[in-house]
Amino acid sequence: MVHLSSNLHKYYHRGFVCIRLALGGCTNRPFYRIVAAHNKRARDGKYLEQLGSYDPMPNIFNEKLVSFNFERIKYWLACGAHMTKPVEKLLGLSGFFPLHPMTVTGAERFHKKTVLMAQMESKEEAVETTEDEQPRS
Amino acid sequence: MAAFRIARRIVLGGSRLGVNAELPCVVADGGGHGRRALCAQSPGHPEAGNRKPQFMDEDVQCILTRITGLDLEKIFKPVQQQLRPPTYKLMTNEQLEEAHRKAVEVAQTRLKMPPVLSEREPINDILVEDKILDGLETAKYVFTDITFDIPHKERFIVVREPNGVLRKATWEERDRMVQVYFPRDVRRIIPPPIFKNENLVVVFAQDRYEDILDLCLIQFEPNSADYIRVHHQTYEDIDKNGKYDLLRSTRHFGGLVWYLVNRRRIDGLLIDMIQRDLLEDAISVLHLYHMLHPDCQSSKEANQQQAKGLDLIKIFSHTDSQKGGYIELALQVYLETLNSSANQDPCRNEETN
Repeated sequence: MVHLSSNLHKYYHRGFVCIRLALGGCTNRPFYRIVAAHNKRARDGKYLEQLGSYDPMPNIFNEKLVSFNFERIKYWLACGAHMTKPVEKLLGLSGFFPLHPMTVTGAERFHKKTVLMAQMESKEEAVETTEDEQPRS
Repeated sequence: MAAFRIARRIVLGGSRLGVNAELPCVVADGGGHGRRALCAQSPGHPEAGNRKPQFMDEDVQCILTRITGLDLEKIFKPVQQQLRPPTYKLMTNEQLEEAHRKAVEVAQTRLKMPPVLSEREPINDILVEDKILDGLETAKYVFTDITFDIPHKERFIVVREPNGVLRKATWEERDRMVQVYFPRDVRRIIPPPIFKNENLVVVFAQDRYEDILDLCLIQFEPNSADYIRVHHQTYEDIDKNGKYDLLRSTRHFGGLVWYLVNRRRIDGLLIDMIQRDLLEDAISVLHLYHMLHPDCQSSKEANQQQAKGLDLIKIFSHTDSQKGGYIELALQVYLETLNSSANQDPCRNEETN
């Protein structure tokens, strides 16, 4: 039989290779494979190559295991593959890329929020102590 | 000819030096044979003439293989496997000898000694410190490079801590990750609890030294702290109880002898060998002892008197041993049995005649 699908796919419009996370696993137990696939393919569908894995659930040593096949990632990047944000963030955390700007922004937002929460809590405590004192006096 | 030998040592020594980063230069055959070193050593080094013999030296290995022996019955002991009906083969005498020879070859490959290395240096390398990421995550991220072609020692395995520090993974983490992504048969990801000190005691009480050492070989790398600890504890226990025969004719006997000779505690071993009528082995152990400690009293006296055979043992029992009395007693018993057996045979011949 003549397989024509690769010939037909080659020049599909606005298509490119993407390095992204393909979800697997079971209910309440996600597991991602880092995969190079055509952009228009289904998220968990046929991919060109698996380049690694990411396990978002920490193990007994409190570690989230991530694996990358850096040699092949470099190849696909050289071929002009795009990346999705989660993959870029993971690569930034690993040190292969510089830290993603959204990681830094997210961190700054988180720190601002914690400072705010701390201030709110201290104000609430101050209010509670004044309320406690008033009925006594 | 000497140049050939020296060239061969360089080639062998080059591979060895990758493992033991002791001296930066290549040295000719070690031990007390008086051959000069090839290049100048650092002036602070105590043994300026000869390098200390290493475990993998040819002469050391030769002695150790000879001592280990080749008990085919023990090496090819029945192993627990799936039950199969026994096979019978009809052979001529030549075929039987051929089969025996092949068995001996297989046995020799099985008796190849595992390497004895010094403990590996712990890794404490920080690559980046990103204070911004502090407190963002609750768990560590461990990033492993799963490129197929690189050897496991050179693989990049880094850990991003919750406080934002990116550091290289420790040796235990490295072993675990390599086992996760490139699993080796029988090796577990988390070392089984049998290797804890309290459980090792139970294993030693059951006399299962060989099994625990085989498990240790499968589970740990030869230069890891756990491997060295388990091996040392096993050897200590064997020395304490005098059960050297359990490891004889296994691949671990060489390591045991090397450990004892390095710590100068070969008395129990010698007594055991004399009691089992293995005098040549005892003499080989003493040769090894003199090679490793050329500046001890017994080796100096032996060199002076050019002693051979039983005299070596007698000199050793006088000078360096802690249980000199026991060694002499064992020697006496051995000589008496030798004489009495020598006397018995001519007596019997006379009776029959």
